[in-house]
Parts: sequence; structure tokens; C-alpha cells
Amino acid sequence: MKTSELLGLNARAKLFSYPFNKPLGKKAAKSKIFTKKLLRKAGVSVPEIYAKFKSPLDVMSFDWENLPDAFALKPSKGLGGEGIVVVKKRTRDPVGPSEKLKTAWITIQKKRVTIDDLKLHVLDILEGAYSMGNVPDVAYIEEYVGRHKAFRRYAYRGTPDVRVIVFNKVPVMAMLRLPTKESGGRSNLHQGAIGVGVDMATGITTRAFWRGEYIHFKPGTKRKLHGIKIPQWTSILETAVMGGLATDLGYYGADVVLHPEKGPMILELNYQPGLSIQLANAAGLRKRLERVEDLQVRDASHGVKIAKALFISNFSDRVKAEEGVKILSALEEVKIKGRNGQRVKVIAKLDTGAWRTSISRDIAEKMGLLEIDNILWSKKFKSALGEEARPVVNLVLWLSGRKIVTPASVAKRMSLKYPLIIGRKNLKGFLVDPDIREREKELKK
Amino acid sequence: MKYISTLFLLAFFCVALNIPEVSFAQGRVVSSPTPTLEATASATVIEKVEPTEAPRPDLTQKTKESVEPLKRLLDEQELGSTYINPVKYAIRAAVDAGVPPNTIVLLLLLPGVATLIAAARHLVGLRGFGIFLPAALAVTFIATGPVVGIGLFLLIVIVSTFSRIVLRRTKIKLQYLPRMAIILLFVVMGILALLFTAPLINSMALVNVSIFPVLILVLLAEDFSKVQLGKSASVAINLTTETLILSLISYVFLTLKMVQELALLRPELWLISIFAIDITLGKYSGLRVMEYIRFRKLISK
Repeated sequence: MKTSELLGLNARAKLFSYPFNKPLGKKAAKSKIFTKKLLRKAGVSVPEIYAKFKSPLDVMSFDWENLPDAFALKPSKGLGGEGIVVVKKRTRDPVGPSEKLKTAWITIQKKRVTIDDLKLHVLDILEGAYSMGNVPDVAYIEEYVGRHKAFRRYAYRGTPDVRVIVFNKVPVMAMLRLPTKESGGRSNLHQGAIGVGVDMATGITTRAFWRGEYIHFKPGTKRKLHGIKIPQWTSILETAVMGGLATDLGYYGADVVLHPEKGPMILELNYQPGLSIQLANAAGLRKRLERVEDLQVRDASHGVKIAKALFISNFSDRVKAEEGVKILSALEEVKIKGRNGQRVKVIAKLDTGAWRTSISRDIAEKMGLLEIDNILWSKKFKSALGEEARPVVNLVLWLSGRKIVTPASVAKRMSLKYPLIIGRKNLKGFLVDPDIREREKELKK
Repeated sequence: MKYISTLFLLAFFCVALNIPEVSFAQGRVVSSPTPTLEATASATVIEKVEPTEAPRPDLTQKTKESVEPLKRLLDEQELGSTYINPVKYAIRAAVDAGVPPNTIVLLLLLPGVATLIAAARHLVGLRGFGIFLPAALAVTFIATGPVVGIGLFLLIVIVSTFSRIVLRRTKIKLQYLPRMAIILLFVVMGILALLFTAPLINSMALVNVSIFPVLILVLLAEDFSKVQLGKSASVAINLTTETLILSLISYVFLTLKMVQELALLRPELWLISIFAIDITLGKYSGLRVMEYIRFRKLISK
């Protein structure tokens, strides 16, 4: 990989985080309570808040006995998961020589906390022990989001979340963060959680990165960390994009947690998201950001569609390599999927001299591929006829039994024999036989 | 906020120490309206340090050893036209009027140190506690000498960590600021103890330690314990080590004869080039050296 593809701290600040995030967005991202307020207003789901503590007086007057069995106590401006106490169970065991029953909870680290411990912790938060620059902070108690059953076997105690980096309304990279024993149930990488790279198109995990090394299995077990299918993937990505629309952030990382019943929820937004996600995905963020920078993105679902077309992982190639390389003729019959689900057979030319796949305007129009919500973006081309803007659409096709999902540019190919030209980009894992004379006759029959 | 107070201390440090009557300088600090914990701590220590009059070859003090060579340098220099050398003329006039040249040199070098620290952050990736603390520490090292400075610093860090562990083990549940105050109390007691032993081990370097370096060291120790309380011990140790490395590099930079001469004899060139380097650094958006190491697995692929 070229170093210019990687995003470093300098470039993150200078090229993305500062120019693309407005003051309001930054203010919102700094305070989790403010983030929640804006998100709830915009209809993005967030964990429910049970209590807020702004002053020591609130701590004293709060009815601690009636808290639910499971909840999370957090500082509003906490950094990197510091100062968060998550409890899962209530106990009422006799404590001390007086054998008095005292209300207490068990944290996810299996430690016992009493009401006094919680009060002191809230007071610490209010003093700013966990905030950036140690400024006075606000503490809050929110609903405990449990593990989704898809992650139960992979996470240690805590709740895993998906960190999605979003830029210009397009989710560009994602990582599943699995808490471990070392991270104490927290899902922050620098505390020892596992970062698992995710394929943007399918939501299937690709590789896992833990403490400076790539690993195959969950530490201490034989459970594979790649190939996990994250449920409700599209919805997770759309939630992440909607979080930025609600808070007016242009470049940010959204921490999305999957609630077992209520679906994806945003835990927090970070306008300077960490860079380790590049290691977890073995991909450079800077290149991906530059690819989506100039696109005109309409809304969250459009952004997600673009992401799925652009950042598809090539693990399908690995499968192909195992099957052996297939030899195709330069002319092949392929099936194209239309907008209403119908499949049409066309003759395509496999053109190893072209990079991107292109489709003729006639057939694209006939199949409904030019509908506004299927257009990914438009690109300007200079040709002999002058400058023309060609739309790039999302195309699903089957070539020799393999399903290919790809962006395809739409061209007026009136004079050309073939309505579809498949470029190099989609020909990985194939060899192309250039002799078409015999083949042409064969197909005409 | 803490950086502003550091800056104040630094300013005091540069100005006050160059006034011959040390007691006057102390009077100013004690009565200054800075309502910080450091101010109270300083009041305790000051009485012990009072007999500090022995001359040290130290750029922060106006002594024969530090002033004479600089004066000689200035006298040897031939001044050109006033239009292209305005700062040179100003320096000459100020020195003739009695402003100590070592103060001028230190002031001229400070933006250079700041640039050095900025470069270490943006080109190499050393973080440390901001930009002012390493700079202040570097000046501290000039005042105390690097060995005594690091020794004092380690003492302060050990004492503050120790008191933190004691507070945790004994399960005294205290609020944040009182807890910090107790840690500072222990730190001051540790320094006092060290100063009391100075006559026993007969160390001139220790006897000569003045209050301002100690204050800056205490400030760093406060930063250290804050990070340790809020984050983890390893983060605190990393940041502190990086701060120490940065300030040692800055210390060497400050004491280089060549750099001092350049700043004093070519102040216009010096200031403009510092400005140009700062602008270039601010525009740099490439990877840092530490990031090349961090992402080596991706780059080599």
C-alpha cells in the first residue's frame, strides 16, 4: 500500500476534521447528552436516559434505590470510554458487621458497587476527572444495551459496537469492536478491545486486529473472527449517516450499537475518530475519503448505496482463486437485473482495455436503472462530441454464474454492437480469450 | 487554564530571577493574585531557599558567567544599516541601558523551542503535555541543571504516585480537588525532605535550587497525577517520558552556543525563519514518523 493512501493525525485534522465539521457539530459531538438531544429530535434512536446530574445537589436528592437492575453511568464529555460504569445485576447482600442489607450492583467487570460508590463516582465526573482538559462535566445514567445474539459468542462481557467512519454522507469504513478480558468489557481499541474489519457491501467481517497483531481466532478460543455476518447491516450504516445529518457533522465516526430488540442505536459521535480502523481493515482511509469527497449525495440511503458499490471487499476473489481461474470469451451472455427484479439477457463484451463497466443508455433506461435513487453519481467525460455528463448507476449482473454488483457508467452507445462492456474492475478471477469471430457466429444462432 | 498559569510562571521566572534582590521577587510572587495551589506550596518552600546567593553559570540568572560572554559577543558585532537591522539596534540599546543580555537571549530562544516541540509533534509524533510545559521544563533544567532537574522530577512523580496508592489502599473516599491537594501536600513534603538532606550530602546543586523550577516541576507532577487518575498509569508514564525527552532536547537546544549566538547576533533572520518554519509545519499533512511505525504492516504490503 502506498503511504499516500493512509490517513495520519496531521491529515485528519487539517484536511477533514476541521474543514468539514461545523462548530455546532463539534459542540454536539463533545457532549454525549447534547448529541442524544439532537439525535432524538431527528428521529435517530439512542439509548434512553434515566437521570442527569448537573450539580452535587442532584446527586444527593436522587432516588438511587429505585434505579433499574442494569444501567450505564457515564460522563457526558468522557474520552475514550474512560469513567464509564456499567452494571448488569442488582444484589442485596448483607454487608459489614451490622449485617444490614445494602443495595448494590454488579458491574460487567464483576465488581460490586454500592450507592456510595456510585455517588462518589458521579462527584468525580462532575469535577471533570474524565473530561478533556478536566473541565467540570455532567454525569448521566442511561439504559443498558445488551448484546445482540449474533455477537454473544465473540464478545467478552461488554457490548460490542460498530464504529463507522462517515464522510460526505457516505460511510467509508467500518469496524466491529469486540470487548475482551483485557479491555474490561469496554470496546475501545487502546484499552485492549479487538478491532475487526468489515466489508462495507455485505457487513461480513474480514480480519481482526488485536494489540498490534492480526489474529484469526478470539483470544483463548478457536472461534473464527472473520466471516461473522453483522445483522441489519444496511440499517446500521444508515443510522450512522443519519447521526451526522442530525448534528451537522461532515466527517466523523459514529459508534453504533445493535440493541437486541430495538435495532441500531447511536451511542456517541466523534469528530476526530481514531485511525486504527485502517489497521483493522488493512485499508487506507485517506484514499477512500478522497474518492467520496466530491460526490453529490442526496440522503442516507443514497450514501449507503454508494458505499456498498465502492468499498466492496475482494474476498470473493479469494473464493474464486480456490475454484480455479475461469476462461471466458471476449463475448459473453450475461444477465442484468432490472429495477423491478426482472432479469434480461444481453451480450456483453469483456474489455480488458477498459477499467470501469459501462452500459448503453437505451438498455439502462428500459430496465429502469436510470431512476434517481439508483444513480450513484454523475461523471463528466470528454469525448469527440464535447463534454457530456454520464450518470454512474448501480448495476447487478451475473457473469458466468457469478453475481457482480458494481458501479457502471451509462453511455450513449448507439453505434456500438454491444449494449454492455465489462471492464477490468469486474474481471478479477477470469481469463479472457480475445478471439471473438467464432463466438459471434455462435451467439447469433 | 493550566497553560496560562505556566506561562505566567515562566514570565516571572525569566524576569524575577534576574533582579538582584531575590526577596523582592518572592514578595511579588507570594502576593500575586494567582489563586492556585502552587502559590500556597511556594510560600512554604521559599523560606528554605532564601540563602540562595551563590553564583551559578546559569542562563536564567544575571551572573558574570552568563552575561559577560554574551556582552562580549554583542560588542564585537558590527552593526549595519538601521533599516535592515532594527532589532539589532534595539537589543544593543536595551543592553546598554542595563537589560541583561541573557534574558534577551532566552526570550529570543523561546519561540525556537516552541517550534522544536511543534516539529516533534507534527513530524515525529512525540506528544508530551502540550507545548508550554516542555518549554518551561527546559528552562527549569537550565536553572537547576538536567541531573538535579530530573532527580527532582522523579522524586515528585514517585511521591505523587505513592500518595495516590496510599489514598486508594486506605479506602479514604475523597473528592477530586481535595485528593489532588493532598497529593500536592505530600509532594511538597518530599521536596522539603530532600532540601533538608542537602547540607548532609553537601550538594551545592541542591542548595541552589530556587522556587520557580520546583514550582514548574510540581505543575508537571500535577499533570501526571491528573492523567493517572483520569486515564491509566501507562498513558501517564508515556506522556511524561515524552515530555521529559522533549524538554531534554529543548534544553540541549537552549544551551547550544551556536544557537544562542545566532539568535542574539542575527535576531531578524532568527525570528523570520522561525515564523517561516512554523507556517510550513502548520501546513504539513503527511504521516508522522511514529505513524510510519504504527502502520508499518500496511505500508510493507
